[in-house]
Amino acid sequence: MRAASIGVALAGLGIAGYLTAVHYAGGTPVCAIAHGCATVQHSRYAALAGVPVALLGLAGYVAILAALARDGESGRTAAAFLSLAGLGFSGWLTYVEVGVLHAICVWCVGSAVCMALLAALTIRRMLVPPVRA
Amino acid sequence: MSKQSTLERRRAARLTAERAAAARDLRTRRLWRLAASLAAAAVVVAGAIAVSGGGGGAKAPAPATTSSLLAGIPERGGLLGDPDAPLTVTEYVDLQCPVCARTAATIVPALIRGQVRAGEVKLAVRTLHFIGPDSERAARVAAGAERQGRLWPFLEAFYARQGAENSGYVTDGFLREVARAADVDAGRALAEADSAFATRRLERANADASRLGVRGTPTLTVQRGDGPERMLSASPLDPAAVAAELDREAAR
Repeated sequence: MRAASIGVALAGLGIAGYLTAVHYAGGTPVCAIAHGCATVQHSRYAALAGVPVALLGLAGYVAILAALARDGESGRTAAAFLSLAGLGFSGWLTYVEVGVLHAICVWCVGSAVCMALLAALTIRRMLVPPVRA
Repeated sequence: MSKQSTLERRRAARLTAERAAAARDLRTRRLWRLAASLAAAAVVVAGAIAVSGGGGGAKAPAPATTSSLLAGIPERGGLLGDPDAPLTVTEYVDLQCPVCARTAATIVPALIRGQVRAGEVKLAVRTLHFIGPDSERAARVAAGAERQGRLWPFLEAFYARQGAENSGYVTDGFLREVARAADVDAGRALAEADSAFATRRLERANADASRLGVRGTPTLTVQRGDGPERMLSASPLDPAAVAAELDREAAR
């Protein structure tokens, strides 16, 4: 489960890294759905207190990977907390895309899916009975 | 059974019970930690949502009248620019869409100052109304402004005053203010909102968007003469990219 979580977090890191790079390069993400990514990226929801949401996502995935690197109880708890917070905020952003901006950014949806998987995996790690040698 | 084996069995049973108790302990602690993580995450997300999208602050006051951007440019049947311009650029919008207001302040002025004034492009607009009832009311009165040859000034004035989506701000008073700023006869425009003409304009916008597969607003399309209309690949938020794509289209 830990290995699967690391794999999903690396996928999310790639997505967030791409969106951050595009943001700072001043371009628009490659997007399969008519200008949805550009619409989302240029909206007022693309930054949180002046910090690009893509950069926050990147930092979130780095923090999750750091938590997953430790297999102790504190690492499990930190990974679950970060994944749940990430899932909650991704859910809010997906609502904004669909309900407010009426535009879908496939990269953002991809990141939200990664966060949902991470939340499921890290919660499962908290719930499984401890293994005795 | 020997005394030795009885002692060993008891010891094994005690160890098993201790392990089970430790596992229960750990599981309980983990459940508490998980619950605390969930609560903390909820607090963090609520804070982030409160800040999200709120960075824009108060809008600048809307101008009293429309700008000089459109001065001297002909408008006929909702088409802005030289009727003989070889290219028609159509923008699919919802008047409540905040990103459409953004393009109205960036890409549209750039096009008007450039290719429209040069006679290379004429502009059309299709007012969709999927965000809510305010969108439909606004689109219908915009059709009334079109009847007076003042659709584009009306759009400019509307976007300058655009409110929060579906907040009910598109009242008759609001529309009269927009009309006044756009030099549109407000009474006639509002009366036109319930006309068959306004209904046809809404139906045309829906039909065209459906035919092209428009999935979001704003979307820009280009059409050469009476040829097929196609969506621009350039982002409607990138004036330079749109201008470059239109230049390529014009050179074909």
